[in-house]
Amino acid sequence: MALWGMVIDLDRCTGCQACVMACKAENNVPAVGEKEAKKGRTISWMQVLTETDEEHHEEKMRFIPRPCLQCDDPPCTKVCPVYATYRDPEGIVAQIYGRCIGCRFCMAACPYNAKYFNWYTYQKEQPGQNPDVSLRPNGVVEKCTFCHHRLQKAREQAHAEHREIQPGEYNTACADACPAQAIVFGDLSDPGSEVSKLARSPRAFKLQEELGTKPKVIYLTEGEGGG
Amino acid sequence: MVDHKDAHEDILLAPIAHTGPGFYWTVAGLSVFILWGAIAYLVQFYYGLGVTGLMQPVSWGFYVTNFVFFIGISHAGTLISAILRLSRAEWRRPITRMAEVITAMVLFIGAGQILVDLGRPDRILNVILHGRYQSPLLWDATSISAYLTASLTYLYLPMIPDIAILRDRLGKWKLFYSVLALGWTGTEAQQRVLNRAIAIMCVIVIPVAISVHSVVSFVFSMTLQPMWHSTIFGPYFVVGAIFSGIAALIVAMIIFRKTYGLEPYLKPVHFRYLGQLLLVMSLLWFYFTFAEYLTGYYGAEPEEMKVFWAKFSGPFWPYFWAMVLCNLFIPLACLVRLGRHTVGKVLAASLAIIVGMWLERFIIVIPTLSFPRLPFPHTVYTPTWVEMGEFAGSLALFALFYLLFTKVFPIISIWEIREGREEGVKEVEERIKSYLPDEIKGTA
Amino acid sequence: MENLHSPSAQLIRKLQWIWMIGFILLVLGIITWFIHLMRTAIWLGDVPSAAIGIPVVAIPIFLALASVVFYVFWGLAVRGRGQ
Repeated sequence: MALWGMVIDLDRCTGCQACVMACKAENNVPAVGEKEAKKGRTISWMQVLTETDEEHHEEKMRFIPRPCLQCDDPPCTKVCPVYATYRDPEGIVAQIYGRCIGCRFCMAACPYNAKYFNWYTYQKEQPGQNPDVSLRPNGVVEKCTFCHHRLQKAREQAHAEHREIQPGEYNTACADACPAQAIVFGDLSDPGSEVSKLARSPRAFKLQEELGTKPKVIYLTEGEGGG
Repeated sequence: MVDHKDAHEDILLAPIAHTGPGFYWTVAGLSVFILWGAIAYLVQFYYGLGVTGLMQPVSWGFYVTNFVFFIGISHAGTLISAILRLSRAEWRRPITRMAEVITAMVLFIGAGQILVDLGRPDRILNVILHGRYQSPLLWDATSISAYLTASLTYLYLPMIPDIAILRDRLGKWKLFYSVLALGWTGTEAQQRVLNRAIAIMCVIVIPVAISVHSVVSFVFSMTLQPMWHSTIFGPYFVVGAIFSGIAALIVAMIIFRKTYGLEPYLKPVHFRYLGQLLLVMSLLWFYFTFAEYLTGYYGAEPEEMKVFWAKFSGPFWPYFWAMVLCNLFIPLACLVRLGRHTVGKVLAASLAIIVGMWLERFIIVIPTLSFPRLPFPHTVYTPTWVEMGEFAGSLALFALFYLLFTKVFPIISIWEIREGREEGVKEVEERIKSYLPDEIKGTA
Repeated sequence: MENLHSPSAQLIRKLQWIWMIGFILLVLGIITWFIHLMRTAIWLGDVPSAAIGIPVVAIPIFLALASVVFYVFWGLAVRGRGQ
């Protein structure tokens, strides 16, 4: 049974946000428009946060690409009243748009603010969308799914060819797009995979690790980690 | 010669028997606000929650604040009524019905706030069909349904003898009252059944009421967010609920005392006792608040301190300090000496507390959401006309429900006042005698 | 007063029984809901401790409420009638 995870090397990240754009294109993340963006309602499954050092404002700045951290002990799934979000056996925290009642409890519970809400009907069917990803209706929560549709396609392909999924066959859009190769995605339960090896690096740290969420997106940085 | 009993009954039955222009004007006024609220909600239902001021990361705002606020007020009735009945405080007699009606009516409004807050209210059945008990929202659903059922029962049972009076004396709606009166004729056997049932309800209702606001607080304290994840939330919310509930009860009492001419029943002594209770709750509320903020401040965890300073001196300081003013300083000023102008002082304190307690819920919900742990760009939550309208409409709807109740059932318990006059006096005299040392017989 | 317009005792009794049974059905419905949630959670293996623990407390409360109301109904309207 695979355990999908991701390693993001903050020392390689240039803050170019190619991952953000790739994710939006891949997952039909709606452009909410200027008015809505001004009100703070931009939906960005992958979001690049900028962290400045408190003492040396202009000198040290760090970019932190933050997808959904797909926690192994997710605080969001605990509080959902209707099974609209849950952690599947391969470690991906799923979001079921058809079940969600829009109570936004999971949004309030997520310590990483990785969940976003459709405050209006932001998406209508139009040409240029990814047909593999469903459009989200008004009033439901959405978030990064580790491009789960790509996993389904890869699995179906492998099943049709009577074999297992090979490493590299299933990769997230953000990992594909990063020009600095800062994002590495793969199976954490396979000790030989690139993502597992990087996760064991001495530079590795987890965001808000002390909260006990057990996130599966691991960051690498030289020097002081922790965020 | 008019029977003493009948004259009293006449005053208490008057609002049901006669309806003046004042009633219609009040209903018209309330309807304006209810209409505003209804239009606001229809707009929201059609377009989506985007018509509110909510955004990332403040995804909970007015509606959740109102939810906690209204459910908090519901603690007026049952706790006051049940505790006073259990402790056999005789001064409760004209108050219990008013208190119980507040609880019954405001619970509908409170539960309604959550429905209004949903992004997909059309999927509310999902909570029933696919609910998860790990979620505090399901604890809320269970607890509030239990409380609603219990408080409606606890309102209805002591009302049965009064309904019988209405059945016999009023002349209109005879079928309605006859059905509800359950054939009450005041016999010994019936009295015993009713008294036993009310006593059992008093005991059931108190833990249910405490569980309600505890689970409402758990919605916040079961998350990991700074200044929410605190063990004090359960008792803090219950104390705050009783506090705001008593204040709301006092305001309701004063309004109806004036409009229905109930001065003979709601005397300054009643307000003095409630005012003293209010003062105690104010100090208790302040103690919990102080303990909570001192603990956060002393520990100085960076993420907690971000939220702490936001409330203390940052963007939220007007609301925070207004809350302290309304919940502590104004009540202290008004309630320490209640000898003269009792009703006026108690009214001023209660109005301040109602405002202050709403601010307290606001101060709990919004600052924590506004200052998330990770470095997001800062945003300011600004409620829109939709949220204001919903709030105004909810308050007006609650007032309307309450008003309509008083036109159908007596707002002061006729039979309990009568019982107080006929039996209470004797019973208290016996009770006090039993506290004193027994007669010393002659020595052997 | 106007005995011609007084509703008949039979009609009153019928309506009393109807609303009493309605209330009992409501309580039974709520209890069924709790049991449904409990069974779903056990079947899915989703925190069965919470799913069992909470109904174990809530169901007796609702049963107690229904019993008290029925006790009053019985004691007043059925047994205590017209003495």
